[in-house]
Amino acid sequence: MNDQKDALLPLTKSQSALWAGQRMHPNVPLHNVVYTFEINGEIDKILFEKAFQKLINATDILRMVFSEEKGIPVQKVLDKVDFSLEFVDFMNSNDNVAVEKWLHQSTLRLMDLSNSVFHTALLKTGPNNYIWFLKLHHLVTDAVSNSILYNRMNSFYKNELEKVTVPLENFPSFSDYIKYENDQSTTPSGSNSENYWIDKTKDILEQPQFYGEKLKKSTEARRTSIELGGERSQKLRNLAKQPEFRGWTEDLTLFNIFLTLYSTYIHRVSGQNKIVIGAPAHNRPTRDFQKTAGLFIEVLPLVIEIEDSDTFISLFNRVKVETNSYLRNASPGSATPQTNSSFNTILNYIHADFPDFNSFPTKTEWLHSDHMDSNHALRTHVYDMNKSGTFKMAFDTNCLTFSKATAEEMPNHFLNILDGFLENFEQSIFKPALLPAASLKSNSEDISSTQFQSILSSFQHNQEQHPNSVSLQAGNEILTYSSLNKKANQLAHYLTSKGVNEQTRVALHFYRSTDYIISVLAVLKTGAAFIPIASDQPSERIKYIISNSQSAFLLSQSELISKIDIPGIGILDIQKERSIIKEQPDTDIEIQNDPKSLAYILYTSGSTGKPKGVLISHEALSNYIFWAKEAYNVNQKSVFPFFTSIGFDLTITSTLLPLVSGGRINIYKEPTTEPDVSLLKVIDDNLVNCIKLTPSHLSLLKDKKLETSYIHTMIVGGEELKLNLAKTVQAAFPSELKIYNEYGPTEATVGCIVSRYNQDKHTKSSVPIGLPISNMNAYILDTYKNQVPNGVVGELYLSGAGLSNGYANAPSMTAEKFEENPFSPETKMYKTGDLGRVNKNGEFEYIGRLDEQVKLRGYRIELADIESNLLDVPEITNCAVVLVENKEITPEDEVVNCTTCGLPSNYPNADFNEDGVCHLCTAFETYKDKTERYFKNDEQLVSLLTSKRGQNRSYDCISLLSGGKDSTYVLARLVNMGLKVLAFTMDNGYISEQAKANVDRIVKKLGVDHIYGQTPHMNEIFVDSLNQHHNVCNGCFKTIYTLSTKIALEKQIPFIVTGLSRGQFFETRLTEELFWDDELDISKIDDTILEARKLYHQESDAVKRLLDVSIFEDESVFEKVEFVDFYRFSDVSLEDMLIYLKEKAGWIRPTDTGRSTNCLINQVGIYVHKKDLGYSNYSFPYSWDVRLGHKTRDESLEEINEVIDEKEVLRIMEEIGYNPSQPEWESNSKLVAYYTGEKDISIKNLQNLLTQQLPSYMLPSVYKHLDEMPLTSNGKVDKKSLKNLSAVQLAMETSYTAPRNEIEELLENIWAEVLKLNKVGVHDNFISLGGHSLAAIRVTARINEEIEYNFSLNKIFEMPTIAEYSTYIEETLTSLLEK
Amino acid sequence: MKEKIVSYIKNKLVTESIETINIHEDLLGSGLVDSIGMVQLVLFIETEAGIKVSPEEMTIENFMTINHMLRFIASKQNTDTKQI
Repeated sequence: MNDQKDALLPLTKSQSALWAGQRMHPNVPLHNVVYTFEINGEIDKILFEKAFQKLINATDILRMVFSEEKGIPVQKVLDKVDFSLEFVDFMNSNDNVAVEKWLHQSTLRLMDLSNSVFHTALLKTGPNNYIWFLKLHHLVTDAVSNSILYNRMNSFYKNELEKVTVPLENFPSFSDYIKYENDQSTTPSGSNSENYWIDKTKDILEQPQFYGEKLKKSTEARRTSIELGGERSQKLRNLAKQPEFRGWTEDLTLFNIFLTLYSTYIHRVSGQNKIVIGAPAHNRPTRDFQKTAGLFIEVLPLVIEIEDSDTFISLFNRVKVETNSYLRNASPGSATPQTNSSFNTILNYIHADFPDFNSFPTKTEWLHSDHMDSNHALRTHVYDMNKSGTFKMAFDTNCLTFSKATAEEMPNHFLNILDGFLENFEQSIFKPALLPAASLKSNSEDISSTQFQSILSSFQHNQEQHPNSVSLQAGNEILTYSSLNKKANQLAHYLTSKGVNEQTRVALHFYRSTDYIISVLAVLKTGAAFIPIASDQPSERIKYIISNSQSAFLLSQSELISKIDIPGIGILDIQKERSIIKEQPDTDIEIQNDPKSLAYILYTSGSTGKPKGVLISHEALSNYIFWAKEAYNVNQKSVFPFFTSIGFDLTITSTLLPLVSGGRINIYKEPTTEPDVSLLKVIDDNLVNCIKLTPSHLSLLKDKKLETSYIHTMIVGGEELKLNLAKTVQAAFPSELKIYNEYGPTEATVGCIVSRYNQDKHTKSSVPIGLPISNMNAYILDTYKNQVPNGVVGELYLSGAGLSNGYANAPSMTAEKFEENPFSPETKMYKTGDLGRVNKNGEFEYIGRLDEQVKLRGYRIELADIESNLLDVPEITNCAVVLVENKEITPEDEVVNCTTCGLPSNYPNADFNEDGVCHLCTAFETYKDKTERYFKNDEQLVSLLTSKRGQNRSYDCISLLSGGKDSTYVLARLVNMGLKVLAFTMDNGYISEQAKANVDRIVKKLGVDHIYGQTPHMNEIFVDSLNQHHNVCNGCFKTIYTLSTKIALEKQIPFIVTGLSRGQFFETRLTEELFWDDELDISKIDDTILEARKLYHQESDAVKRLLDVSIFEDESVFEKVEFVDFYRFSDVSLEDMLIYLKEKAGWIRPTDTGRSTNCLINQVGIYVHKKDLGYSNYSFPYSWDVRLGHKTRDESLEEINEVIDEKEVLRIMEEIGYNPSQPEWESNSKLVAYYTGEKDISIKNLQNLLTQQLPSYMLPSVYKHLDEMPLTSNGKVDKKSLKNLSAVQLAMETSYTAPRNEIEELLENIWAEVLKLNKVGVHDNFISLGGHSLAAIRVTARINEEIEYNFSLNKIFEMPTIAEYSTYIEETLTSLLEK
Repeated sequence: MKEKIVSYIKNKLVTESIETINIHEDLLGSGLVDSIGMVQLVLFIETEAGIKVSPEEMTIENFMTINHMLRFIASKQNTDTKQI
């Protein structure tokens, strides 16, 4: 017992956390811990009072009071607390209501902690029935503590009853523990345990959202309790004894079992893979404290990762290990704000128990205070306080987050998992259904066999009733119902005469036109099925569709038909046949379309690369059309624009719905060459009042004047409708506009789930898709095809009258997608591949594509999730997030090398023929002889270098001497030729000692003057070169050229001789394009190279930034100082070179540089290049050395496959200050967010906003503004093309715009090929894309080849974008034509 | 080692006072030591025997009786020596 009464004590860590929580919510009974003990026996209230007084005297926590001293909470133990028992008699009340009310009110009543931390009372509820009410503040107790208090009270009461005095057991008080913890925490930090918890929680990024509900902070909570029942409890205990499960103690094993089940449950209702669960650690650190009443527990996290392949037992085995780690690190004081914020759910396995009071049967209840920590969504408790053998579970849920209905359902979902586990613990944790089979419900009224109504009969009715109403309008062309019917009849008669009948399939290949509508009606009138094929389809695809659909006829129009040639089928040109068709009778054909017969086949893009034909029956078509007529209130006054592709099933609405309703269709023909912007015309014309379109279409309307639009009904389909867009559109149009969000894959006929946008009701980021239409059903199922509870995400399945019959000629695909419907025997259900859920209001929500779930660094990410959050940003009108997977770098052991030159297969665009010869070698064969004309001989060199003698010059030339073998050979030869040479060596700081010694010895031996060049900026230049070119040589070369030119200028030396190898010419000067010209003019090549050299010195890089490059401002420098490549004039084998070097120059191969013969930093370049791009930067020039006969393939391979000393490389990298721009994993994949809207939006703000909503691994690493979202022909966002932008393009500040005309397309192709990119935006800058002088040569040569003109090299730098260059080309060509 | 373990259990872990502990006695099954106590014992053994017990090794097979523990410690010490 402690003797320091009234001394102020600090709070323990756990107490402090609770205190802080209570202070945040001072008026809420957040931490009232209430137990009731219902005692079935007579209690002497006087003795009970005495016993409790003794309990108070013996237990310091009951005398504890709290206060704040200068803002710091403190506690003290009062010396003496006089207790008088509150006794409440309920003998006169007839029912339990009064008792319940008293208990509830007393439970919630706040306590003044400065006065007392407990409230107790004895309630008399029956002749021999009492309830002992005991409430304590959590600050001073936990479950074990309550059990200690209870047992102590029990024995005190017995002692009173028996009038015996038993000496108090000697156990430490809670005050002792406070001191103990204080002493512990003064030990140094950084212990293993402390690190364990820091490590454990540092990567926790996301907490599960149960049933799709984001946690809403509130302390209000409700408790739902269930009894597991004797049988289940017994089975659990039996399993806990099995060797597979048995752990140290039964309680530990049971905890592990419940934790396994709870993790499974959380995963199943949240989709979260990495699950963090808080669990109270009992934390009584020594044997002595086991009998101390007080707050000991600390809640610490357990982290469990769910795997797709998990069975209950496999998960249990991991859980067990996690619990062991948890236990060994759960030392008192481990909980920190970081650990506390890592979880939003708790599993509390309580093994305190409460035996009978005074041997009377006693029932213990733990009452909930209707409040809990606002950071928790769900706290689940498992206990058996009465030792009844039956587990009880309590689920405490956050009221603001979960509806009462959800809260009441939760325990059942858990129980279903538990039962699945008991049934077979070796089964997948995903197998047991969360919902009991009996609760399966249909989401629409029973599918009734409503009277079938055909499209034709309805059209027929309209044409009879209103023959003179306008049915179609296309520009000036107007058709009434009567004339449309007559034309359709004539065509139908004509088709019948050609043999078309009910079994025939007729392909319709048309522009949007009256002829198309006439043809659709005509085909239906013959009883045949139509196959719409849009005008923009390539002929190969048309051929495929016709053959796959077994179409007997292709009906088309002259403009289109000339382009295709399909043998074996009847091709009918409706325009050519016009006169014959006109002669046909215009009488109606009596045809009753059989509901089961085929109405149309619509081809949609398939994942296989071939389109798949969706078979739609008359029944399915009518089900949609007649439902839509009612639902959208389409009537005679309705006018729809027909402006979308006929190959897209949303067009069915615009083309058939008006005709069955007596309304009108306004036809907008698509342009043949320009992009289709018919929608804008539709809006400008303002002639329609109903419209069917995609959300992407809507986003095109943002700058349009819409307030005077007559459109009152808008049916949006084909894509997810984001709330922001709906909101904007609703606001922009007149207020009577009704926006319908229609969901439906082609396979379920146009639309089958629909909602009307409601500003007040719809608040999430996307408009819900709503409820199934008549005669349709929708299900959200998990991987085992169990229906999931509301809120939980699953795959959407569809069934009902609108379902397609499957795919044309693809029985296995049909069987795969159209499964037996387990919810309705003998019907099918369609697997949509879409993720959905049912929200609180019972509406279906579209979540995204199943296959849009991407995996990045192991995390599963729903791209749509990121998109919804982006769309919450008001400045963003539309967005698309894609995972850009950079080209995988081919592992080294998979690389093969060209059998001729050794070029590695991972070189960009490398293409090998069947003999393993690369495309460069193959092409080289065609211009090899021309290249020979580029090379010259020794005499020509001497004559060139001496051509400017006689002007009192001291030197003929500067020889660039690196100290390597090639440049040393050059110098020695030049001297040998009798030339006056100044040797220049660039000391880049990494010339090896031995190489330097070589240089000094050689110049001495050869007797030449020698200069070392230097710059303090070398390291910066290296870093820049590594960043821009992935090597060090580019930067170093440019420095050499710059410094040596300067010297040459000063000393009036007219030539600088390089030691570049012939292979390096092709890396730095020559391109194959230069040799394409049939009449090769070498002087023209030299001119081009000189032009390129001028441009080279204009390129912006570290050299231009850091060195004095003013000499290049005056173009005359390029005349005053000429560069001469020695090896253009000299041809020598490696062997001969080495012999010569040894004899004439005294060159010794350095041993301190690795493979390179002079430079230590070279290997850094090789290393970085290999790491970034997968292949050595020497691969390409060496392949040319081999091709030109200067190296053998083996010599080249040996050098490019050289092993690099990584340690040394990393040391040098650090020395020069180069940080690889990205960690390794990042170079592989990244999330890229494209958006349209405000261009100048701050990316930083954007990121901050997203950070509040998304875990960091879901944050896009690149944000790119687009002028316009690229769309597929179906009007959906073209994500494929968005995936193809390169890192550089993404980093550019310009928005991406795709080519807009033929010239731009041509230029894009050329740029893309030369710059090795997939896509180039027309406003992208050539230089920013990595275009340099050599690329300029290539691009210009190719343009000149294609356009057959002679554009000069510098144009590309004057007009560095495709848009500018293409305008220039156009202007040039126009002015030529005019001449 | 045996004596150290026995004495640690007797003096630090067991709540009732006991005379002796049989090395074949099921400490866990008999309720003599609870799981918290067992973790403390693991930490004690790690220090005393100079071994590291991984969470995977914290099983009933290795810790049911003192005899089990001794066998486990011996096997650990062997492999640990080999690794050096």
